[in-house]
Amino acid sequence: MKKLIQFKNIVKEFDGKLVLKGVNLDIYENEFVTLLGPSGCGKTTLLRILGGFLTQNEGQVLFDGEEISKVPPYKREINTVFQKYALFPHMNVYNNIAFGLKIKKEPKDIIEQKVKRMLKLVNLEDFADKNVTEMSGGQQQRVAIARALVNEPSVLLLDEPLGALDLKLRQEMQRELKKIQQEVGITFIFVTHDQEEALTMSDKIVVMKDGEIQQIGSPTDIYNEPVNEFVANFIGESNIIEGVMLEDYKVMFEGRKFECVDFGFDKNEVVDVVIRPEDLDIVPRADGKLKGVVKSVLFKGVHYETMVETKIGTAITVKMQVSDDRPVYNQSANEKMSANDFYLDVDDVDELDDATIIARADAQAWNPDEDEFISIKEVQYNIEKKNGTYPVTFSTGAGTSVTVNMIVKDENRVTSKENEEEIFAVNFFKKVDEIQESIALETDLKTWANASAWSLEDDESVEITDVEYDFDPENITAGVYDVTFATKGYLYKVDTTDKYEEGDEVGLTFQPEDIHIMSKQP
Amino acid sequence: MKKKKRIGAKIILGLTTLFFYLPILYIIVFSFNNSRSLTKFSGFSLRWYEKMFADSNMMNAIVYTIVIALLATVISTIVGTLAAIGLSRSRRVLKNVVEQINNLPIMNPEIVTAIGLLMFFSAIGVEKGFLTLLLAHIMFCTPYVILSVSPKLRSLDPNLADAALDLGATPFQALTKVIVPQIMPGIISGALIAFTMSFDDFIISYFVTGNGVNNISILVYTMSKRINPSINALSTLVILLITLVLIVVNVVPIMKEKRRKRI
Amino acid sequence: MRQFRSMIYPYVLWIAIMIVVPMLLILLYAFTKGANDVATFRFTLEHFGRFFSDAVFLDVLKRSLVIAIWTTIVCVFLGYPIAYAIATGSEKSKIFWILMITLPTWINMLVRTYAWVGILQDDGLLNKFLGLFGIGPFHMMYTTFAVVLGMVYNFIPFMILQIHTSLAKMDKSFLEAASDLGANRVQSFLRITLPLSLPGVLSGITLVFLPAVSSFFIPKLLGGGQYVLIGNVIETQFLTSGDWNFGSAISLIMAIIIMLSMYLTRKVDTDPAANGRGE
Repeated sequence: MKKLIQFKNIVKEFDGKLVLKGVNLDIYENEFVTLLGPSGCGKTTLLRILGGFLTQNEGQVLFDGEEISKVPPYKREINTVFQKYALFPHMNVYNNIAFGLKIKKEPKDIIEQKVKRMLKLVNLEDFADKNVTEMSGGQQQRVAIARALVNEPSVLLLDEPLGALDLKLRQEMQRELKKIQQEVGITFIFVTHDQEEALTMSDKIVVMKDGEIQQIGSPTDIYNEPVNEFVANFIGESNIIEGVMLEDYKVMFEGRKFECVDFGFDKNEVVDVVIRPEDLDIVPRADGKLKGVVKSVLFKGVHYETMVETKIGTAITVKMQVSDDRPVYNQSANEKMSANDFYLDVDDVDELDDATIIARADAQAWNPDEDEFISIKEVQYNIEKKNGTYPVTFSTGAGTSVTVNMIVKDENRVTSKENEEEIFAVNFFKKVDEIQESIALETDLKTWANASAWSLEDDESVEITDVEYDFDPENITAGVYDVTFATKGYLYKVDTTDKYEEGDEVGLTFQPEDIHIMSKQP
Repeated sequence: MKKKKRIGAKIILGLTTLFFYLPILYIIVFSFNNSRSLTKFSGFSLRWYEKMFADSNMMNAIVYTIVIALLATVISTIVGTLAAIGLSRSRRVLKNVVEQINNLPIMNPEIVTAIGLLMFFSAIGVEKGFLTLLLAHIMFCTPYVILSVSPKLRSLDPNLADAALDLGATPFQALTKVIVPQIMPGIISGALIAFTMSFDDFIISYFVTGNGVNNISILVYTMSKRINPSINALSTLVILLITLVLIVVNVVPIMKEKRRKRI
Repeated sequence: MRQFRSMIYPYVLWIAIMIVVPMLLILLYAFTKGANDVATFRFTLEHFGRFFSDAVFLDVLKRSLVIAIWTTIVCVFLGYPIAYAIATGSEKSKIFWILMITLPTWINMLVRTYAWVGILQDDGLLNKFLGLFGIGPFHMMYTTFAVVLGMVYNFIPFMILQIHTSLAKMDKSFLEAASDLGANRVQSFLRITLPLSLPGVLSGITLVFLPAVSSFFIPKLLGGGQYVLIGNVIETQFLTSGDWNFGSAISLIMAIIIMLSMYLTRKVDTDPAANGRGE
């Protein structure tokens, strides 16, 4: 096959930002090439440089061996199907398709012949007189393809042409595009951020990120042998685990040694281990290379997506002291009022204000007949920045008041060194009816305990996914209860045909050739 | 309750109509008055129209007004449309600066624009007259054309021009065959605004004209110091002309649409 | 498309010459004195000193502001009910009434102002009409009343259109939500409609105040020769006395007053505390 297009060290910057950082890429005749990557990776910019709508700052674009950077778009043997099609709204379907031929001043009868043939190719024979604005997305798409192909280009550029279509139509158009490409036998360069689209249609996939090409290869190459974590994550779903390459064909992760088929890494090099969900099997716990607990099961149509946790996340347990105190009742003013004791972290004392105290103590006053809230006029307290118990008094304008305790205690914090996470929560006081009346108890428990978790690596907050307690919120009585907050642990995504139940204790197994080892990305 | 409110609204709107249209009606009626009086209607006559057509000052002013308005409309529409297209493709900094300056004549009190132009023309030594009047009118009409065309360009698919080039059209062909037809409604309304702005302008014209070149507004202003019913006739003519323009602009597209639908 | 980008450059040159240079000339003249010859210009603030030390000019400035403020107030209080009456109608009636309000604005302002001369005469239409009820006659021509009336007549369409736009684009579901939450008609008007239409009122105020301050043919036509506003002073400086420096200085003062008032209204508009609209 012959090299049709060569990008040589293409650099492009917009307003001082490098969008393409020296791209080298060869495209051959009759290939279906896909530029794949997340938005902002430079794939559309590369396409627009080839179309002639942008000029690179550095590098060369060769077409059939000739440098074409100076050639304006209307003199290039390249046509484009634009994002959202860019059909001319003031022309009907026929005139849209005939536009390029009319510009070239081809004879009328030839134009008619060619347009008719194109309409047939894209299955729109009866739509010639239709107004393009009255057509569906799929039909507009076909018009755009016909409008480009009628000029008999040697390369067709497609800029995310299926992005605006719904899933079913998109899959239909994918098949059709592939068919059209094989029929007209020219090079298609297709830009998308949809990996599935890329895998189904392409002869060659070019994966891009941040203005650089990550990997070039056939769909099977890219799926089975991703070169790095980015490609592995972007193409299909993956479990990526950090490991150490002990020697050729031997890798260690989750504290155990496994055989693999990869070689050529440094001794004890830290690597990423990729295992595709469909390559993992669930087996009885005793037979598993890894052991874990089923955390969730999601039915995906043909298989179940089963999440198995091999190591639990960071957790903290706090005490909830439940009292059955009744609210204070001030008969003369017909007001009821209630508040809780609460714990404070020493560090919180500095930032304390009335609103925070009212919220933490859950202090409220109301008129029992009308059930309307009455505002709390005064909050009186003395507090020092050291451990101890400090009374605080809330009162309304009518003189109803309640006194509770603020208990300052050292922080109650758990650190999990292995997972580089820290989680924080404090013991708290609650009344029976507050727990019974809570609409979203797990969220309320997190608020009441002031629970939060964050990563020790980058200080980003980590979601608390599990709130566990062993009381029945409907029928709770006074007493002390444990509440546990936890973050996610190591989770593996496994595609299974059998259905497992949440909480099943299982084992995971895989073959040495199912593990793929990648160098860690810098 | 609902019904009562609508009656209230009807009364308000009725009074509003009276307020807006009574003076206009009044002028038209009194242009046919037999006597000089502005308050007593003493019989129908066309004598003020005869007087107007006989008055070379008035006829000149009418001709100047129409010629200037037509020229200013055509030029500012072309200049404004091209500028708006160029502007839509410009870098943000330049775009902001041009838009700000473009807004100056719209936001500034007209009298400020007027004296600025007066001093400018005198500084470069151009004699006040037809040319200065035309230049000034183009200057204050163009920003309105740009303001009217720009939103249409903004709502245009940014790839349309690229698509035309991609299909082999030269930049000029892309402009005439794709972009201009797309923004035509904006261009037409811009031209309409430019025409009426120029046709009605008083303050700027008053300051920058000279050598006996007057437009209708200046004439009305200078003549209104004493009662002269010819002004009523002239005003009636102006009202008629503007109404005609508005009808043509509003009705013709509707008729075209209907014809298109019948076919 | 880079090809079309270059189309802006001729216009850049044009506005530089026709808009920027004249504005700079005003600045130059306002701050200098000397003959009409660039070489002999000298920097001075004396024109501003002259304006602010002369009681006559300060009087004119005060009168201009008072008239403009009155005009604006009348426009708000007449314009709001009119805009509200239009906005609460059906779609069809809305289009009709907006057309009715905009049509007269296409007609020459001078012609429309001149039309009031006959109506406001001592024996004019308005006094005849009032006479039917045994009221009047009043002397109206060449009074403040006539000037304000002329300005309101010319500028109120801007106010109505601005308020109507903000009322029309208001989401009807806000009112439904308000009544769902127990507000009656008056309450939902005061707490929802009014605050949400405030931006329209404010931009209407700018659009009315600006031409009202600088207008000079309305006072001349309806206020008579003795009714001098700041616009008339500028006219005299340029067309009668030929003192361009002083005239430029007065224009600059007026422009600054207008910019200041626009800045203040815009500040109210963007201050969420002032209109209860957190943006």
